[in-house]
Amino acid sequence: MTNEIKISVEKVVGNALCVASSDGEKLYQHIFEALEANNCVTLSFSGVTLLTSAFLNSAIGRLYDGKFTEEKLRASLKVADIEQDDKLLIKAVTDNAKQYFKDPQKYKQAMKTAEES
Amino acid sequence: MQTISLENINNSRKGFHILVKFCADTSSASVVEVDMQNTSWIDADMCAPFGAIIDDLRERQVEVRLVKLQDKVRDILSRNGFLQCYGGDRVHDAWGTSVAYKRFSIDNEVAFSNYVSTELLVHDSLPKMSAQLRKVFSQNISEIFSNAVHHSKTLLGVFSCGQYFPKKGRLVFTIADLGIGMRQNINENRGLDFSSVEAINWATKGNSTKSTGNPGGLGLKFLCHFLERNEGCVRIVSDRGYWKRSNSGEITTEELPHPFPGTVVSLELNTEDKKSYVLSSELDVDNPF
Repeated sequence: MTNEIKISVEKVVGNALCVASSDGEKLYQHIFEALEANNCVTLSFSGVTLLTSAFLNSAIGRLYDGKFTEEKLRASLKVADIEQDDKLLIKAVTDNAKQYFKDPQKYKQAMKTAEES
Repeated sequence: MQTISLENINNSRKGFHILVKFCADTSSASVVEVDMQNTSWIDADMCAPFGAIIDDLRERQVEVRLVKLQDKVRDILSRNGFLQCYGGDRVHDAWGTSVAYKRFSIDNEVAFSNYVSTELLVHDSLPKMSAQLRKVFSQNISEIFSNAVHHSKTLLGVFSCGQYFPKKGRLVFTIADLGIGMRQNINENRGLDFSSVEAINWATKGNSTKSTGNPGGLGLKFLCHFLERNEGCVRIVSDRGYWKRSNSGEITTEELPHPFPGTVVSLELNTEDKKSYVLSSELDVDNPF
């Protein structure tokens, strides 16, 4: 049975400043466990005053490494209590992660080739 | 003992020339006396790379003494707390325009972001920036700190300092690390054999060297996009590379005559920016996943 789980990002991190990769890792563990148990997750950003791509890459970007399909992530994850610019930042991070994890070697090679040409 | 006479250190190509020459000249010294009688000015934010170089020497057991400071320079270095780190006193900043010189350990990203919120963006003399602009400033500056921590592989921490120029409506903030530099980092992680300048160009285009299995590479790219919109300026020095993107978007580069022992990122932010940074019409972000 699918449950709806709400995760308070501020509570998990223990801080309103979500900037450190190590804190992102903590949030990743919470999300990963909830998704693995087939739950739907709403990430509440209430109380969070600062988000960076470094934090989000650890917390959310890694979710696209193939353990879950993009369809599952899109269907199972939601955000709440978040400002529009932070939502845009998450979108930029997830777009980047999708590209990266489609084929990390190909992604790296494509950039290498582009630089050499 | 080696005595090095130091000229003015401005946040400019010439200022970095002086600093890397100082590094080269002191590379084999055991005691360094920095003669500052000919130094009539130091841009306060340049204390970040200057302090990084001094601490690098000290980590190598080199004794460093700053001597014959002119009053003006002593005042600059006292108001931002730089001299306090080297045995001097900190003087109250009556103008309220300096941003304290600090050294952060690499696991202290949250303390750094706190410092940005409590030291950098709270000056009474700063214009009334929108909450959104403050947030975007904080975000971009915190991204640079993360870059320094994750890419430089430094164990010696990250150095930062800043200065606000009310009449110009500019806030200059500089971060320095003593890591391996962008060229070596890209070479080790990607096998790309770039010059120092090519390495900086590569990194500012959103490319990443992360080898942790996480995607990355957005920090510097975001910063460059933001500064383009903000009409700000960024200077990056890494190894022998000097790279500047002016407020008009012009990029100038140069190979420095000597390497800097790490990376410096210096931002000049336009504090009178009234633009909006929410571009909600451009993207449908109901579901960012």
